[in-house]
Amino acid sequence: MSYLYQFCNNFSFLILSAIGLSIIFGMMGIINLAHGEFIMLGAYITTFLATAGVPLPVAILIGALGTGVFGFLIDRLIISHLYNRPLDSVVATWGISLIMCQGMRILFGSSIPGTSTPLGSFSIGDGKYSVYRILLAVIALLVVVAVYFIFMHTKIGLHARATMQNSSIASSMGVNSNKMYALTFAFGSALAGFCGGLYAPTMSITPDIGSNFMMESFVTVIVGGTNPLVGTVLSGGVLGLVRSFLEMNMGTFAGRVGLLVVAILFIRLVPKGFSGLVDNIRKKMEVKKHAKN
Amino acid sequence: MRKTKMQFSLGSENIITVLLLVAGAILPFFLSTYRVSIFSYFFTSAILGLSISFIWGYTGIFSFGQAAFFGIGGYTYGILSKLFDNNALTPVALVAGVALAAAVAAILAWFMFYGGINDVFVGLITMCFTIALSTFLGQTAGSEWKIGDVSLGGFNGITKIPTLYFGSYKCDKVTFYYVTFLILAAIYIALLLLKKTKAGYSLLAIRENRTRSELFGYNVPKIQVIVFTIGGAIAGIAGVLYAAWGNYITPSNLDLSASTLVVVLVAAGGRKNPTAALIFTIAYSIIANTLSSSGSQYALVILGLILILVILFVPNGIITAAFDGIDSAWRKFTGKKTESEGGETA
Amino acid sequence: MRWKKLMAASAMLIAAALTFTACGSTGANESGSSDSDTIKIAVLEDTSGDNSLVGVQKYHGAQLAIEEINESGGILGKQVEMIFSDCQSNNNVYQEMANKVILEDQVDVIMGCYTSASREAIRPIVEENNALLFYNNQYEGGVASHNVFCTGAVPEHQITTLMEGMIKEYGPKVYIIAADYNFGQISAMWVEQEIQNNGGELVGEEFIPLEVSQFSSTIANIQAAQPDVLVTLLVGTAQSSFYEQWGTSGIEGCPMASTVNIAQGYEHLRFNPPALENMYVTATYVEELDTPASNDFKDRWHAMFPDEPYIGMEAEAEYTGVYLYKAAVEKAGTTDVEAVIDALESGEISFDGPAGTVTIDGATHHAIRNVYLFKCNADHSLTLEETWEAVKPDWLSSVMGIDLRVEAPNEQYTPLD
Repeated sequence: MSYLYQFCNNFSFLILSAIGLSIIFGMMGIINLAHGEFIMLGAYITTFLATAGVPLPVAILIGALGTGVFGFLIDRLIISHLYNRPLDSVVATWGISLIMCQGMRILFGSSIPGTSTPLGSFSIGDGKYSVYRILLAVIALLVVVAVYFIFMHTKIGLHARATMQNSSIASSMGVNSNKMYALTFAFGSALAGFCGGLYAPTMSITPDIGSNFMMESFVTVIVGGTNPLVGTVLSGGVLGLVRSFLEMNMGTFAGRVGLLVVAILFIRLVPKGFSGLVDNIRKKMEVKKHAKN
Repeated sequence: MRKTKMQFSLGSENIITVLLLVAGAILPFFLSTYRVSIFSYFFTSAILGLSISFIWGYTGIFSFGQAAFFGIGGYTYGILSKLFDNNALTPVALVAGVALAAAVAAILAWFMFYGGINDVFVGLITMCFTIALSTFLGQTAGSEWKIGDVSLGGFNGITKIPTLYFGSYKCDKVTFYYVTFLILAAIYIALLLLKKTKAGYSLLAIRENRTRSELFGYNVPKIQVIVFTIGGAIAGIAGVLYAAWGNYITPSNLDLSASTLVVVLVAAGGRKNPTAALIFTIAYSIIANTLSSSGSQYALVILGLILILVILFVPNGIITAAFDGIDSAWRKFTGKKTESEGGETA
Repeated sequence: MRWKKLMAASAMLIAAALTFTACGSTGANESGSSDSDTIKIAVLEDTSGDNSLVGVQKYHGAQLAIEEINESGGILGKQVEMIFSDCQSNNNVYQEMANKVILEDQVDVIMGCYTSASREAIRPIVEENNALLFYNNQYEGGVASHNVFCTGAVPEHQITTLMEGMIKEYGPKVYIIAADYNFGQISAMWVEQEIQNNGGELVGEEFIPLEVSQFSSTIANIQAAQPDVLVTLLVGTAQSSFYEQWGTSGIEGCPMASTVNIAQGYEHLRFNPPALENMYVTATYVEELDTPASNDFKDRWHAMFPDEPYIGMEAEAEYTGVYLYKAAVEKAGTTDVEAVIDALESGEISFDGPAGTVTIDGATHHAIRNVYLFKCNADHSLTLEETWEAVKPDWLSSVMGIDLRVEAPNEQYTPLD
């Protein structure tokens, strides 16, 4: 039971912190070094609203929305000029993260009062478990399902996937790839803000809170590969398992370093991450199917 | 790189190169001891920048791992020079630091490039490697982490590392300046010359198109491993010099922000051109130094803004763009059509 | 477009060139022009970056002390000039700035450094140039340097007193969680030693990397061990998330004991009650300390910095550090470094400040201080439980046999060696 609880915890943390990053990376090829700061922004908006008396779920949604709008603005102002230069966007997003982090510090000081974790706890046998933590795991799954739905069953999702696979052909088919990119970036930012909002009640709110998510989100994206859906879910699951096991048996240091080592080894064996693995399997299945026919 | 350009052309970059070298050579005569000392520190950052320029700008290997090799060089130098307990042996520690950094880089490179990992994934793996190393070093305060008499020191790092000695001669600030300057200049000139050799072209070929290079008969992974190893060695030199300069090295020298900053600086200066990387890294160091001694809270905001503006308005890097600008202005002015320097930025 | 780019590029280049020449020229002019009409105090603190939560407070502490001193006539009749550098929570910047203030500004003393790593970064520079550094901060102890004076709290102050009280009050089974770096590891070692001395039992121990912010597995492990007392030696903003997660985990009745929280990072104001309920902390100063000297100090502070969220023990240490330096210079009659060090080593330099009397111990270069045990209540108010007066930091002198008045090894010793 304890293992299951730890796994849920790690799984939801990895998925929620990585999904925004992986959508932007997978669709646009941009490594968003300001991802942590977007999470921070979401956490700040949520905390401000929640301490002002807005109900927490509403505050979290507004936090996500606000970060999405902010991401859209950043995209129009800066990122849109760098669509075909993904490596240069590393410089730009690094600059953005410096400004956001220090700017927040200048505006609101080094720390703001937080909100408490809601919902209390329940106990099974000897163990006590936080209800909110369980809820986070459920939300992580819902987010994945929602993203899946948007990508697979809406027109926007179709256009997005087309742009991801081949932007020039997609645009010749009438997909406005610029618009798609802008939407993707805003959507990824909103998910980052959502993650910040969800974790805001469980952490101390400081301008550098984003750095707490960076390592985990990057590792998840590395192991996951370019497909934001399949990759992120699978890698979140596997890494969550590895980490829970290491942490429960050998402490948090082993958990942290183990995660990095697993990521390095995994990517060596499967160079394109889980996305590549799944693609390969799918292709083989199709070949077999054709062979049978 | 469409044209073969073996002769020395009188572009602004070459003029600047000469000016830079001359300026570097005479700088200590005009500056206070503090400035001389701080410039030797900036030069270590510039050497680190050149290692990025070499592996990324020349060969297209995108790495966040240079800070790790910097750290390995510095730590090795620190441990060995303290273990030897004989200052005349510090040059041996220097060589060992560089060698170990190169060896680790070689292993990591073999691991990656023969495994078919490329592009942005190289960046991400090296990033993982760097964070893992830094996390590991951060918790080594205990007595079980001792090599001989030298404690790794955990988060506080290794302190009291001796500076460089030649025989029994201890480098003072000015001598140390010239040591770093000569090493920097040697690496820099080697990179410039490399560009004009056949080996250099094969690197650029790999950068532009790996598959095609492979079809032309280049052993791409092998070349990548060699390049990455040399890049690691250069970063190692920078680390050794840094440790000898500040008598100190800590895990924070190889954390996430240290490893990204140097990549960012080279990208902003112009990654395909070592002169640009060199100038921008040093200029950034000077600006950052001035801002923090002013005590302003806005220092980091201003630095961030500079980076964004540079990348938005001068996509090839600010220094490269400046070279191009001056050259084309000069051509217009003289009305002569000389050979384009634009090839450098292609 | 091309033209625009060119303009931008040349503008940037010119800007860079200007800074470059500006640097060069100031360098040439300033060197050697030490102005003897003022006493120069360099303050190196982090007002930006990860450590600015405490860095800003400490900077304000130095500002307040220097302004007060100048208003009441300065030191030896000279005005005090503060040279402040923001070190951005970055050890490299500390090195650059230490070089600058020593070689270029030729300051008389340096006040500052937050992390031990930042202090170790500049200690070789200070020693090589025979300068003077006041490290006004709580740390893991053990620095034995001719040129460094540590005026903050060390384990001798806090841990001996804390563990004695906790084991007596709550029982022998102790669980330790500590930040996985020098401060945490060394402090944990002190705690282990005190557990033995007080007949307690260590039922579990975990070291946690500084970047970790999710603690559910740690909490599960603590829960399984069922300790009477939980010692938390967590450091930094990431790790402070532990308290919120601990508070809502539903585990009740296990008191926490700490030497870092509340007094340094004012977690009791940053988190909603009752996350820190039942936490005990030994501190050399907290804002809640209700003495006439402390209240007067708070009034003056808030008059100068009305927006300050909290005045912690590092802020008090920085303030006190400046006054200790003043007392030493006045005794020495000069700012000459050796004369000032002699004065500080005399054992007669002390300051009656907001935290009570603080005296420099000549043999160890550390401070003899009062220690206060505070308990955090459900509403996050603090109650003073116990006071120990004039606690001596004597590990270096009694265990390691070091007397800095006789010989200075210029090393940091740890009980881990």
